[in-house]
Amino acid sequence: MIKAYILILTYVGNLKSVLKELEKLENIDSIAVIAGDYDIIVKASVNNLEELMELTDKIHAIKGIKRTNTQVVEKEIEI
Amino acid sequence: MMRIRKKFLFYILGLSSAIIAASGTTVDTYVSSFIRNPWALCLSIFLMGSIVTTILTLLLSIPLNGKAIGSRIDPSFNGVRLLRKKEIKYHIVAGIGNAITTLAYFYIIWLYNNPFTPATILAFSQIVIIYLLAIESITEKNAPTLAEVESATIVSFGAVLASISLKGGINALGIAIVFLVLNPSWALFSIYQRKLKLLKINGCYNDAINIRFWNILFTTFFTIIAIVLVDHFTGENYFNAAINAFSHWQLLALSMAIAFFSYVLYIRALGLGKASVTQAVKSSTIIFSIPFSFVLAGITGGTIFESSLHALIKIMGIVLVILGVLSFALTEVRGYIFINVKPGYSVRKMIEEIWKIKGVTSVAAIAGSYDIIAKVRIRSLGKGYERIVRVLEGIKEIENFKWHSILREWEEV
Repeated sequence: MIKAYILILTYVGNLKSVLKELEKLENIDSIAVIAGDYDIIVKASVNNLEELMELTDKIHAIKGIKRTNTQVVEKEIEI
Repeated sequence: MMRIRKKFLFYILGLSSAIIAASGTTVDTYVSSFIRNPWALCLSIFLMGSIVTTILTLLLSIPLNGKAIGSRIDPSFNGVRLLRKKEIKYHIVAGIGNAITTLAYFYIIWLYNNPFTPATILAFSQIVIIYLLAIESITEKNAPTLAEVESATIVSFGAVLASISLKGGINALGIAIVFLVLNPSWALFSIYQRKLKLLKINGCYNDAINIRFWNILFTTFFTIIAIVLVDHFTGENYFNAAINAFSHWQLLALSMAIAFFSYVLYIRALGLGKASVTQAVKSSTIIFSIPFSFVLAGITGGTIFESSLHALIKIMGIVLVILGVLSFALTEVRGYIFINVKPGYSVRKMIEEIWKIKGVTSVAAIAGSYDIIAKVRIRSLGKGYERIVRVLEGIKEIENFKWHSILREWEEV
């Protein structure tokens, strides 16, 4: 299982429509709207890097997204 | 699968559990008016509980469209399963906690010898929220903030007022049982159920249905031991009395079936929030029990409000419970922190160091433009600065970090 954080920057005024499209995608554990350099942070779990590429491709295809930045998790500790 | 805001799910689970528990409290009061002996009542409830819980767990294990029916209640549930070795010690403590809690609860009901008067002393069992908060501040990474202590105190005192009776008496023995036996064992029971829920089984979080199933079996076992010892030392035969109490099997089965669903939802909520906050939400059982109490009063001919003063105290208590639960819900700040580590320093050591910071709920080493992503949960931004930002600024291995407050979040459930 590969986990990744996908940071998304949207064009102004497109946040709501981007969220609506993201909600339709598979393999997503959580979606958070954040205040900072990025607008959305998506946490995804996929079986392999191929699936991660498919997911990021689908995200890139969403209208209103300006830039994405994918961070693959190497090790994670959580409550 | 659906995506829902985690906070909503937590409150939906907690409140649903409270509503179901409210109906159970009414049935319990009704049952205790038939089976007066506390030891016999306790044992008969758990013996029947073992049967009912086993039947329900097996029914929920039946696959439907490739998934167990119970997965609709807890998505982690894949059917009844044997215990894993790492679960046993937690189940032993939770089972002992549940057995002692229930014995003490029914002992107080018996001590005050009337189904309506033990309410005065039992009202103080609501202070368990403060016990949980105290235990969490010692054992968990998340020490309570002032806002949490305030909210817990408001809910606890509100719950005491909302459930108190002006008719019953208070004596040292009753208070000692509540504060030294009932509340500590209840707190132990809650904390260890939460530990079980957070355990990972085959890479997934433990499921609430198996936790409840095994807890009832362990609790029944410890209750049998307790009753055998009581029988041995007192020369009584409460064991037989418990078997005879099966003449009211319909009521016992109903009570334990209600308890099953209430606890399954409660255990799921425990996996999402702290035990103290979950218990605070669950204390709204008092509010939901009012309509059920009306029904019971209609059946038994009793009354809900003893006087206008009692009604006033109850209403004030209910207002405090609502305010306390709301303030728990509204005072939470979450955020992601993106961190870059200076070249030449170990990211592995850094994630362990960041994990030690209070309020950090997850930390991940990542490959990308940042080295570490940490998720934090605190009660206020001010607390975030004090507890997290200042600590990060003090770590010399960190090159820079960026705080991103979460404005809204959805999670897969």
